[in-house]
Amino acid sequence: MGLDDIQSGYIAKIVKINATGKLLHKLLDMGFVKGTHIEVIREAPLYDPMELKIHNYYISLRKSEAKLIEVAQL
Amino acid sequence: MLSGIYQHIANYPGVTVDKKSGRFSYKALDIEMVDLPGTYSFSSYSLEERVAKEFILNERPDIIINVVDASNLKRNLYLTFQLLEIGIPVIVVLNMMDVAKRRGIDINTQEIQKMLKCPVIETSGAKAEGKNELLETIYALSNELKYHEFKLNYDILEPYIEHLQKKITVQNENLSQRWLSIKTLEEDETILSRLSFLTPNIKEIAQQSKEAFENTYNKDTTSFFASTRYESADIICHKCVKENKKNHLTVTDIADKYILNRWLALPILFLIIFAIYQLSIVLGYKITDYTWPILAAFKNLVIDILPQANFTEVPLITDFGVWMVNSANALLNYIPIFLILFALIAILEDVGYMPRMAFILDRVFKKFGLHGQSTLPLVLGGAFVGGCAVPGIMSTKGIPDDRARLATILSVPYMNCLAKVPFYTLLLGAFFSANMALMMFFISTVTIFIALIVAKLLTSSVLKNRETAPFVMELPPYHLPTFKGVVIRAFERVWLYIKKVVTIVLAVAVILFALLQFPGLSSEKQQYFEQESNAILQDFDKKMKDNSYYSLIDSKEKVASLLNYYDEYRSKRMLTSSKEGAQKVDDAFTARNQEFFLFIKPKTNKDARIINKELRNLSSQRNKILREIKNEKIENSLLGMMGRSMEPLTLYAGFDWKINVAFLSSFAARESAVATLGSIYENNKADNQRAEEAMALNSGYTPLHAVAMIIFMVLTPPCIATMIVVKIQTNSYKWMLFAIFFPITLGIVAAISIFQLGTTHALNGIEAMTLFYAAVVLLTLIVGLFPSKRINWTGGIEPKTNGLYSKYIQSQKKEKK
Repeated sequence: MGLDDIQSGYIAKIVKINATGKLLHKLLDMGFVKGTHIEVIREAPLYDPMELKIHNYYISLRKSEAKLIEVAQL
Repeated sequence: MLSGIYQHIANYPGVTVDKKSGRFSYKALDIEMVDLPGTYSFSSYSLEERVAKEFILNERPDIIINVVDASNLKRNLYLTFQLLEIGIPVIVVLNMMDVAKRRGIDINTQEIQKMLKCPVIETSGAKAEGKNELLETIYALSNELKYHEFKLNYDILEPYIEHLQKKITVQNENLSQRWLSIKTLEEDETILSRLSFLTPNIKEIAQQSKEAFENTYNKDTTSFFASTRYESADIICHKCVKENKKNHLTVTDIADKYILNRWLALPILFLIIFAIYQLSIVLGYKITDYTWPILAAFKNLVIDILPQANFTEVPLITDFGVWMVNSANALLNYIPIFLILFALIAILEDVGYMPRMAFILDRVFKKFGLHGQSTLPLVLGGAFVGGCAVPGIMSTKGIPDDRARLATILSVPYMNCLAKVPFYTLLLGAFFSANMALMMFFISTVTIFIALIVAKLLTSSVLKNRETAPFVMELPPYHLPTFKGVVIRAFERVWLYIKKVVTIVLAVAVILFALLQFPGLSSEKQQYFEQESNAILQDFDKKMKDNSYYSLIDSKEKVASLLNYYDEYRSKRMLTSSKEGAQKVDDAFTARNQEFFLFIKPKTNKDARIINKELRNLSSQRNKILREIKNEKIENSLLGMMGRSMEPLTLYAGFDWKINVAFLSSFAARESAVATLGSIYENNKADNQRAEEAMALNSGYTPLHAVAMIIFMVLTPPCIATMIVVKIQTNSYKWMLFAIFFPITLGIVAAISIFQLGTTHALNGIEAMTLFYAAVVLLTLIVGLFPSKRINWTGGIEPKTNGLYSKYIQSQKKEKK
């Protein structure tokens, strides 16, 4: 399931990242590595992008990009 | 903090893209410190990273100081590991220890130091703690630079790194060879192109190793590197960091519950933007009422120095001097606005609201090819009644997505410029006095739609292949801004504006002056004006013959100097409103010439009163001739010729050459459009007739003409100041020229269409404007609903999409298939 399907307040674990190139680099740099736990904090008022908590900091991601992150809900 | 240079760390990733440096000495050791742009990593391809990486490669610093946010250690250590691998000694500075302590984060610095085998120092930037310790460490390191290579064990990837390391030929590189080979495996473009001088086929070799690894272990190299580094960072965090308040909500958590709340976020955002607008544009405009007299005094000072007019013969140098001062003043007048605006932006940046603003509005802007971070530039450009494109464009710097950034730069100038407002007021006052509010609403809101349409148009055409960046943005914790930081940055940016914009605008003002002055009056016209002025003088002379003061004004020179005295007194007197001020001016003028002063304030002296009355008359007659000369000059000038030559086209939009000239001169600064139009339509009784009335009566225009003019003005090219900033921000003259000619074309096409439609369908002004408005809104909706591609970035490692490298990869992929 994609990260964009996780509801606010739930925690998920990264299974696989399907992004390539620049996005992959950027995601890796920001700490989106396999096995990491991500908490979905909230969606933006217009439902996109979403705010996430990862490695104890907050980050925002568009849903189109969150879709590329395969996760398992915990 | 350390080097004495002012280093600002804004709470907004990507604010400092440039590097700043400073020199100082410590214990007879000369140290040059360079502040590099902040970055999250050393392997992806943002502008900041490129700047930082290239600096380290080219300048070879002796020591790298890695300033780490102690309250967010894990992610920061990820970068630390990458820096340690470079092969240059690293000092880790744990900054913001105060914040970390407040959050209940205990850090065992000694333990980190032991594990990383590099000096680790605790500081808290806001309180300047730990400064001496850092200096002492730098000093110690420079005396005994005995450096042991740092190696992070990449496990199954090691054989591939070693293999590559052997293939790389380097010359005089004191950088770690291991690091270079790791970077080639990561396909780092900067390193690859550097190594390819000595190892031409390095890209192929690296690609082969990478593929060999990926095929053997079914793992992605890039992800593998990242995971190893994160795991290592994790180990350090586990051993050295204790979080005591792990599940407590921080201030940021609580604040964001409201600030980013689904229902409250937009109203709060709107309130903040409205407050910025009120404080900077509205309040700032009021402050200019107080600062304007300073500029006016400066103008008077210059006029005092310049040679005086001999009745209607004004020396060229005087004309030139006044023109230059006027041009400079028009821009300097906005400094209070900019100062407030820049200070407020600095506060927003420091607090950490900017990324949140982007978070809230990204969805809307994404639809038009822009970025959440385009909000502020567009607001500053004039989302309400008026703004200024200059600070708007300047604030696009932090947008990470190159395409969205360029689109923002090119669409901000469409927003409602504050200096256009007087022009609109003039036209609305003349032709739409009954529907002024409605028209103003149309004008101020239509610009937002136009900017969005233009952005969409550009991003799906000329900007289509520009580099884009994924929207992966940190939402940093809130911070209290420091007063000093905010003030210094506001002044820094204002100074930048003065330095870069005002100087170039003045240069262009010289050119415009020449275009307006030459070739000048024909000899017949010159004779005609001479006769005119002589006639007035003779008339004056005749009336004065019997006056007891005749001896004081019996020659042209004497009259001219009295007239200058009179005009000067009036302009100085106008600047003071207080009684004491007025007395001061009176005293000064009495001291200068007691007899002349009598004519200005004749009191009960009968003869002097007659002179006073005639003097006033003479002054207005002289001004009339001067105005006629000016108009004649404009008409004959190069700019006038340009205006005329455009008439065949612009007449379709209803513009005659006079309007063309007004638009052309408005290029220098918007204010001059009003001034030019005003002076063209002022008649000799202008004293008691306002410019609006004069225009409505004397121009022969209909409201439809006015609508065409307004539409053109709405779309019209940005002023020179804006062009300069476009040049600075895009670093390209090409885009600057594009930003000039694209809007002109758009403007003339729109103006012609509406004017022609209006003429053929006999629409009145309001109807034509409503039609235009409806068309724009409709277009915005269509464009906005137009499906945007889901994945909106291209390229990857290669900055240029058509580079050899990407072709190589493609050919490799084909072969594999």
